[in-house]
Amino acid sequence: MRQSRAARLGLMLLQLLLALIVLLPFFWMVSVSLKPPTEPFAIPARLWPDDPTIDNYVTAFRPEFRTYFLNSLVVSLSTVVITVTLGLLAAYSFTRAQLAAISALVGLVVLAQMFPHSAIIIPIYKMMRGANLLNTYWSLILAYVSVTLPVAIWMLRGFLLKLPAALEESAAIDGAGPLRVFWDIVVPLSRPGLIATAVYVLIVTWQEFLFALSFTSTKEMRTLPVGLNDFIGQYGIRYGELMASSVMVSLPVMAVFFFLQRYFVAGITAGAVKG
Amino acid sequence: MKRSFLTTVALGTALLAAGPALAEEVTLQFWDNQQTESGLSDVQKAAVERFMKENPDIKIEVTTVPYPEYQQRLLTAVQGGNAPDVATLDQIWGGAFAKAGAVADLTERAGAAGLTRDGFFGGAWDSTVVDGKLYGIPFNVDVWQFSYYNKALLDAAGIDPASLGTFDGLKAAAGKLTADGKFGVGLFGHKGEDTVVVGDSFIFSNGGRILDDDGNCALTEAPAVEALTYLQELAKFAPAGILNASSGDMRELFLNGSLAIEFWPALEQPTLQKSSLDWGFVNGTAPEGKTPVGTFGGWNLAVFETSQHKDAAWKFIQFMVREDVNGDVVDLIPANKKAAEAFLAKNRQDPQTIMAHLDNAKARPLSPRYLEVADAQIAMFQDIYAGNDPAAAAAKACDVINTLK
Amino acid sequence: MRQDRRLHWLLLAPALVLMAVMLYYPMLGTVYESLHETSFLNPDPKFAGLALYRRVLADGTFAQVLANSVVWTLGVVLLQNVLGFLTALLLNQNLPMQGALRAVVLLPFILPGVVAAILWRFMYDPQLGLVNSLLLQAGLIENSVAWLADSRMAMASVVVAAVWKGFPFSMLIYLAALQNVDRSQIEAAMLDGAGPVRRLIDVTLPAIRDVVVVNIVLTLILTFNYFDIIWVLTKGGPQSATHIFPTKIYETGFGQFRFGEAATYGVFSILVLAVLVALYAIVQGGANRRRAAA
Repeated sequence: MRQSRAARLGLMLLQLLLALIVLLPFFWMVSVSLKPPTEPFAIPARLWPDDPTIDNYVTAFRPEFRTYFLNSLVVSLSTVVITVTLGLLAAYSFTRAQLAAISALVGLVVLAQMFPHSAIIIPIYKMMRGANLLNTYWSLILAYVSVTLPVAIWMLRGFLLKLPAALEESAAIDGAGPLRVFWDIVVPLSRPGLIATAVYVLIVTWQEFLFALSFTSTKEMRTLPVGLNDFIGQYGIRYGELMASSVMVSLPVMAVFFFLQRYFVAGITAGAVKG
Repeated sequence: MKRSFLTTVALGTALLAAGPALAEEVTLQFWDNQQTESGLSDVQKAAVERFMKENPDIKIEVTTVPYPEYQQRLLTAVQGGNAPDVATLDQIWGGAFAKAGAVADLTERAGAAGLTRDGFFGGAWDSTVVDGKLYGIPFNVDVWQFSYYNKALLDAAGIDPASLGTFDGLKAAAGKLTADGKFGVGLFGHKGEDTVVVGDSFIFSNGGRILDDDGNCALTEAPAVEALTYLQELAKFAPAGILNASSGDMRELFLNGSLAIEFWPALEQPTLQKSSLDWGFVNGTAPEGKTPVGTFGGWNLAVFETSQHKDAAWKFIQFMVREDVNGDVVDLIPANKKAAEAFLAKNRQDPQTIMAHLDNAKARPLSPRYLEVADAQIAMFQDIYAGNDPAAAAAKACDVINTLK
Repeated sequence: MRQDRRLHWLLLAPALVLMAVMLYYPMLGTVYESLHETSFLNPDPKFAGLALYRRVLADGTFAQVLANSVVWTLGVVLLQNVLGFLTALLLNQNLPMQGALRAVVLLPFILPGVVAAILWRFMYDPQLGLVNSLLLQAGLIENSVAWLADSRMAMASVVVAAVWKGFPFSMLIYLAALQNVDRSQIEAAMLDGAGPVRRLIDVTLPAIRDVVVVNIVLTLILTFNYFDIIWVLTKGGPQSATHIFPTKIYETGFGQFRFGEAATYGVFSILVLAVLVALYAIVQGGANRRRAAA
């Protein structure tokens, strides 16, 4: 597989181009966020401000932002815990139970992944209203768990299918019941799969917009994406502040992703590549 | 045992004694649009404190909601039966809330209290009247639009600012100012209410109207179509991208000196005062010899039909629009005219000019389905800014509006 | 064994109940809502039969929403998969810096959709944005282009923003698949004198065929349902030029409180998505049969 020097150079240039395409918007986002708020925007746009300042970050980190952040954290983490737990239980039974209905049920799980959220949102909204859950954490957590669960089950199922059966069998022979086997063997062994699924659910819920936009209405309950959109306001957009907020919204999930990237990549591809 | 019995009796007596006093204490739920732009909520809190001090038997609980979600929240609350006692309503919502029976008829109370149209800006007062009944009291107002201009750019082009006040003058100036990478006039046409109010003011100023007295669409009448044709010509001198641009986008261009004329309400003045720009303004634009007619924006205070404390709520409204209070609780312009004069003199440049524009401004139509009327109008304005035939665009909008009835 | 069975049902129950209540029931609920009219003035649902379907079909925007949805979905799916695949090929070459680059390329995928949209909205700003500034300075355009405000350009512009955000996800899956391709087959092909393009067509593509299928179906569904980017960039404008089913449903339902009509659009959107997936399955099936026959 040796490539000629020229080909290698060409590929390196392509890589550079790729990095540029991906990074330029990020660079611009940071650049705008560092522009002094009092300085008008230049035409043509300047790539980097003359006197970068963190003023926009100070303004953007207002009490509302902190509330939104906390709300996003509560809703996302709750969803992650509940989805991963329910998903693992279901995936375990989907892969271990000898039930006639299993393949039909798996089919229903796969089908549910396809449902357009916008198409089912009105009945869900009415249910939430009926249950008096609108504008509460629960309306979002319930919705998020439901829409992430099919994918989570699918990912975890792919994972559990690959676990060696020998360990579970020998434990069963030693007299351990299915619950014991599940707790002592399956859970520890599925750790990478659980992490991958958790990261996936976190990425999805951290940025969810449509449900949050429709189900919450006060600034006390807004999550970050919707709160960010609110900053656009009735008539104006203050881009400097908005970009500073954007950076702050993106950093946590990026940090998590970079620490757990290995697991995530393995998990998301296991389902697609081998599923 | 005996002791606890005695305690119970004592407690019971105390409760009985306190009973009447407790029953008189009233807690009002007050909802308001959250103004993120300023420190207003603090001032408003102070006003609420003052009201409670003046009325020790009434307690006010304030809930503020950001504008984009405010209407939905109110509608949901009304449908769910947990509406507040008092709330500020955007002028354009009044029709729907009144027709849906959500807000209380205040005609008698206002009459008894001596609150009349004369004390307020007429256009704002009119926006609270549905089928001859009064459903709210104007709280604050502003008017779209003032034409703010960049003095340096106008001087360089040798343009007299007063000429911006006429249709021909504005078009000529905008054409002359569109050169060397500068833009003449900040027209915008995104999907937003600011698109509608600016468009309406050109229609009003040309003698046109949106709906006729029977609520039928009047956009196909000659004065309206003429105004649309004018806007289409004016659009040639606006920055590229009208159809996705908002008043906020135009403000950025105005602030960085590349836009000569922007359209904003008086609310824009504090922003401009903080900038290093040398600016001035005129009151909108009308055909030669006519006075420009702006479009009113603003908020009214209303009492909800489900409120158990309508008397207390009414007291609170009277307080909020009082001459010595109204100016402290708004960042637009007080709807109480006397309060407005004091407010403008203190906070705005050229208050007399602003007062004249306010006195002359018109409210948007009070249709119970205003939102859909506005959507049809936005589609119409986008059509003409995109270069389609104004008469056809107006006819299309009228088709939609007339089926709403 | 019977006890095991009961246990397994118990473990499945929470997930199944939740999915039944929150996904399958609303699916039917949407059909129910589409047969009832509501508005703010008359919030109590009133049976309307198929009147709302007739009204929606008679309204000119329906055809446009349908066409837009198809263009948007196919455009994003195609570009995202081609770009994702090419990037995966590039990042599978053992060049210096690839580890870092693989991580960097994933950034847009993690970036919240609303943030990506706000960012692109400013990138596209005709006067202040980076896109026009760079193109003008490079002499590639002469006048500012109104990317999002020109109805001929808006759809292409939102597609580009969505592809930028979405292609890393496709890349990720293609890259994993490429790394699973049996090296010995590639080496055998090299010994036969096959060039890189031949090796790609004869060995690599057949080996990852299933992944391509999964990837395309996945992006098709995600794209068809994607609300965030278009809503923040254009709200479906200008003149409905970028209105797709999700934005139209939100606008009708939560902007105008016409739940019935929104649900009618919802039912149509489910049908259209089903047709798109089915069409793809047929095309794919046909290709498989041809391959089997060859």
